[in-house]
Amino acid sequence: MIFGSSYSLQDFVPFTADIYFRLLERMGETYWPLHLITIVLGMVALWLVLKHRLRLACVLIAPVWLFVAVAFFMRLYAELNWAGGYIAFAFLTESALLLFLALTGIGLDDRSAKSQASFVGMFIALAGLIGLPFMGLLSYGSGLRAEVFGIHADPTSMTTLGLAIMISRGWLLWCISLIPALWLLYSGLTLWALGAPSAKLLLVVLFIALTGLFWKQLELSMLKHESHDQN
Amino acid sequence: MNNRYTRRQSLKMLTAGLAVTLLPAMPRLAASEELLQKRFSADKTLPVIGLGTWQTFNVGTDPKLLAARTEVVSAFFELGGGLIDSSPMYGSSPDTVGHALQQLGIPDTLFSAEKVWSPAGGSAHEQVANLLGRWKLEQFDLVQVHNLTDWREHLAALREMKQEGLIRYIGITTSHGRRHQEFEQILASEDIDFAQLTYNITHREVENRLLPLAREKGIAVIANRPYDGGRLIKGLKRRNESLPEWAEEECGCSTWADFLLKFIVSHPAITCAIPATTQVAHLRENMHAGMGTMPTASTRQKMVNFIESL
Repeated sequence: MIFGSSYSLQDFVPFTADIYFRLLERMGETYWPLHLITIVLGMVALWLVLKHRLRLACVLIAPVWLFVAVAFFMRLYAELNWAGGYIAFAFLTESALLLFLALTGIGLDDRSAKSQASFVGMFIALAGLIGLPFMGLLSYGSGLRAEVFGIHADPTSMTTLGLAIMISRGWLLWCISLIPALWLLYSGLTLWALGAPSAKLLLVVLFIALTGLFWKQLELSMLKHESHDQN
Repeated sequence: MNNRYTRRQSLKMLTAGLAVTLLPAMPRLAASEELLQKRFSADKTLPVIGLGTWQTFNVGTDPKLLAARTEVVSAFFELGGGLIDSSPMYGSSPDTVGHALQQLGIPDTLFSAEKVWSPAGGSAHEQVANLLGRWKLEQFDLVQVHNLTDWREHLAALREMKQEGLIRYIGITTSHGRRHQEFEQILASEDIDFAQLTYNITHREVENRLLPLAREKGIAVIANRPYDGGRLIKGLKRRNESLPEWAEEECGCSTWADFLLKFIVSHPAITCAIPATTQVAHLRENMHAGMGTMPTASTRQKMVNFIESL
């Protein structure tokens, strides 16, 4: 028999695909042309990272997480999913963490921007900043339906995860990567359940990001080991 | 209150009532464009196709989608629909139904079915009061204990509310084939009016004990997940599977919706099925399944054999 039973991932998602994509579209409609500013913010943050101005980069990204928490999760997503309030809290926490990094500089590592793992981070960040919006533009032919850094949760998480690989070290590397990575997993599974092709893309990006994170951790450990040897 | 549908719906109810009076409990009806009604108490009937709202009506405050769902509800009542089922665990679905009813007026045929469940917060009294506000109604026809959560406490509270006139009928629900043993015990021991459970052509476990018991005790049965969460009908359409010729000849099936829903509502113990949809076109297909000739016992067996052969 072709029709199996019973529970599936789909049964845990409380809305249909058209409702979810319409929600993303509403974010685009409501806040246009804020998209242009948030994309520029993201690009400037990446540029600052490459110029070793890591604390300033964190200052630019922190409010973006605050905005997505309030404007998307609290205002819209929570209407459809009771988990929305909790996810908003997680996004607010990420904003606070980024602000903490910006204010204290703890856990920032400007040497790491030149590490090989950081190229993975840059790839992920660019995928979130340019790749995802461009894909939306190509798929829908409308900027309002494209997901954009600083407006939508997926590109915001993707870009931040990429930047986290580039700028942080130690336990804070994992700390600031945790929330974006968990959201990408949650979002990827949601899209999978809704039958959206972009689910695979999100999960592949997450896999690459996790590889980058472990690679970065390995590089840092080797660096530490080498400096011990030299002493 | 805007009773936009009252006259038309009253006529339909009159016709349907006449049909029910003249026909035996499980008829093989002559072809007709009236939605089949089934008796669930001495003097009450329900159209065999209802409207579920899980996932599909959870649209938040989006004006565009609220308008689209209002169209679905409008078509549902125009085609003679009655029962709309929702739950506080369906996100904003109760609000969406309330919005539609406010726009369209409350037809006489509406049979409002809601649920209480423990994680929704508040007592059963508070939940029902909150949900009445969201539906913009003064009374629910049916309130069910969702998935048996704290069913003893909730059933006791629902009985009180029934006596107070806040609700007319009480029931219990389960889905996905869970907790059938406990469900059976409640059906056997408690005085309830409705039981909602999962029944479709690929999930027929309830045929063994629950449906015969419900029939014996005169409990009305609502079949949820008629398309197994959409997978069943989407799977058949995706495979480009053709309807067998005998399905049209023997019970007037012209779509897979007809095939799958007629199978469910032709079971003697089932009062109605509650497919959910976001589209008026699909709703029309669903409603069509409740009209015309229903499969006989032998045709039902052929339907099962056919699906199992795929």
